[in-house]
Amino acid sequence: MLRMNILVSELHLNRRSLVIWTIVSMVIVGIYLGFFPYYDASWAEVIDSMPPAFLEAFSFSGVMFEDVNLYHGGLVLMYVLVAVSIYGFMLAGSLIARESDWGTAEFLLVMPVTRMQILLAKATAFVVLVSVLWLVIFITSTLVGVAVAGRDFHVGAQVWAHLAGLLATMAAGGIAFAVAPFIDRTQTSTSLGVGVGLGFFLLDAVRNMIEVLDPLKYLSIHYYAELQGAATGEPFTIGLLVLPAIFIIGTLVGLFFLQRKEFTV
Amino acid sequence: MTIETMNLSKYYGPVRGIVDINLRVEEGEVYGLIGPNGAGKTTLIRTLLGLIRPTRGGATLFGQPIPWGGGELYRGVGYLPTDVRLYPDMTGKELLDYAASFHQPIDPTWRKALQERLQFDPSRRIRSYSHGNRKKLGIIQALLHRPRLLILDEPTTGLDPLVRLELFSVLQEQNRQGVTILFSTHVLEEVDRLCQRVGFIRQGSLVRVSSVHELPGRHMRILTVKLAGGKPPDKSLAQLGHPRAIEGQPGYYRLAVDAPANHITAQLHQVDLEYFEIVNPSIEELFLEIYRGKGEGVQGNA
Repeated sequence: MLRMNILVSELHLNRRSLVIWTIVSMVIVGIYLGFFPYYDASWAEVIDSMPPAFLEAFSFSGVMFEDVNLYHGGLVLMYVLVAVSIYGFMLAGSLIARESDWGTAEFLLVMPVTRMQILLAKATAFVVLVSVLWLVIFITSTLVGVAVAGRDFHVGAQVWAHLAGLLATMAAGGIAFAVAPFIDRTQTSTSLGVGVGLGFFLLDAVRNMIEVLDPLKYLSIHYYAELQGAATGEPFTIGLLVLPAIFIIGTLVGLFFLQRKEFTV
Repeated sequence: MTIETMNLSKYYGPVRGIVDINLRVEEGEVYGLIGPNGAGKTTLIRTLLGLIRPTRGGATLFGQPIPWGGGELYRGVGYLPTDVRLYPDMTGKELLDYAASFHQPIDPTWRKALQERLQFDPSRRIRSYSHGNRKKLGIIQALLHRPRLLILDEPTTGLDPLVRLELFSVLQEQNRQGVTILFSTHVLEEVDRLCQRVGFIRQGSLVRVSSVHELPGRHMRILTVKLAGGKPPDKSLAQLGHPRAIEGQPGYYRLAVDAPANHITAQLHQVDLEYFEIVNPSIEELFLEIYRGKGEGVQGNA
């Protein structure tokens, strides 16, 4: 069922973007987490003196700068997730849209393989690529976290936070797979990726600031990932089930439309 | 029957693609689809390959309905699109390895022979290939797995004359081994050279099917003449065809001649020529002459 040749080819074709985004993520983790020892008690006071609406919008609190796990989950991984969800959307979208954009659909679709097998291989390649990315992020976080905070950095809890990040990235990819059959340009999937990735972040900020907009949280992958809770060893279990469900449903929706897509150009 | 279509039609909204095409390509046959640009050749081919869903009608390959969404049926098909577009970051070798991975096992000597015969260097990245080299790569990947059916959409565009001859030779060899070939072109000479039967497509319809020996306009040439002193065409010239004055070029006349070469030269000997040119007709000119000769109305650009 799983066409290994397509999977291997996709991994090969997307290796460069993986390297670039891995480096970007490692730099974010390295810089932000590396800075943790330089925050002292006065920093927490500064944060707490900021307008409450601002603090709520970005889920900031003074305590966050005193606890490495909270800081890592609530701040560092949040930024990483914004970046990586953009990558996830771009990657999944371009895996499909590229075939139209490059005209390679005419090559691939006349091979003895079904569109379902093609999508399955591409979705698997996506999962492998984002898993590798999150594994490297986890290793980097662990090395830097232990270096700056020693035993205060709870590696076990961070496993949950990184798992939540991985599942949230997969959910972003699932949404991209659902819309990708309507996209014929990789550039469009890139633009949509940036828009959707930042959109999730802004949605989370807006619902934190304005109480009446709180139900919007259900539209953001950040809500389901709940990185701050996961990083302190209290993952949002239901959220962690919702995220892979979004990936699976999105991929199935993508398959439905891909089966009906016509390749006229 | 290798290919059969039943009233196959495709509309893009209100725009006509193909209309009620009934095509039958026998096993082991070389069938040429000939028609001007925009006639519907590529739409027909893409529909046969399941890339486009027909608006109505149906089609079979090897006696089985065309699977929408791809599948094993295409194991027996090799396809070359008009414009070969492949993964730009792959090398030619990587692309051929990838294509081969769908059709294992592949005979490596056959692959090497194809590369040598078409003078193709597979070591470079696809993005660096010229149009002609991409075409060669497309041809090799289409032939790589020794398919039972080859569907080639304008296979010779972009190829230099020597490679074109080699391609014809490869295709003739394949056909002798029983491979069915369907190819589209707008070059009459290619049809004459390769095909057993020809289907004429015009404005989305298959307007005529004939064996290559009965090909209308097979010997047709387009003659442009100017008689000495700018005289109007005389009786000798009129025996070759119907001369028409060329707009904006006083004294110049054009006529489509469908006659053996010795007859043409014999008639031309009888007139005093100031200018003379003879060329093969374009597909548009051929269609125009065929329909004018049959007294049918000619519309559009045909």
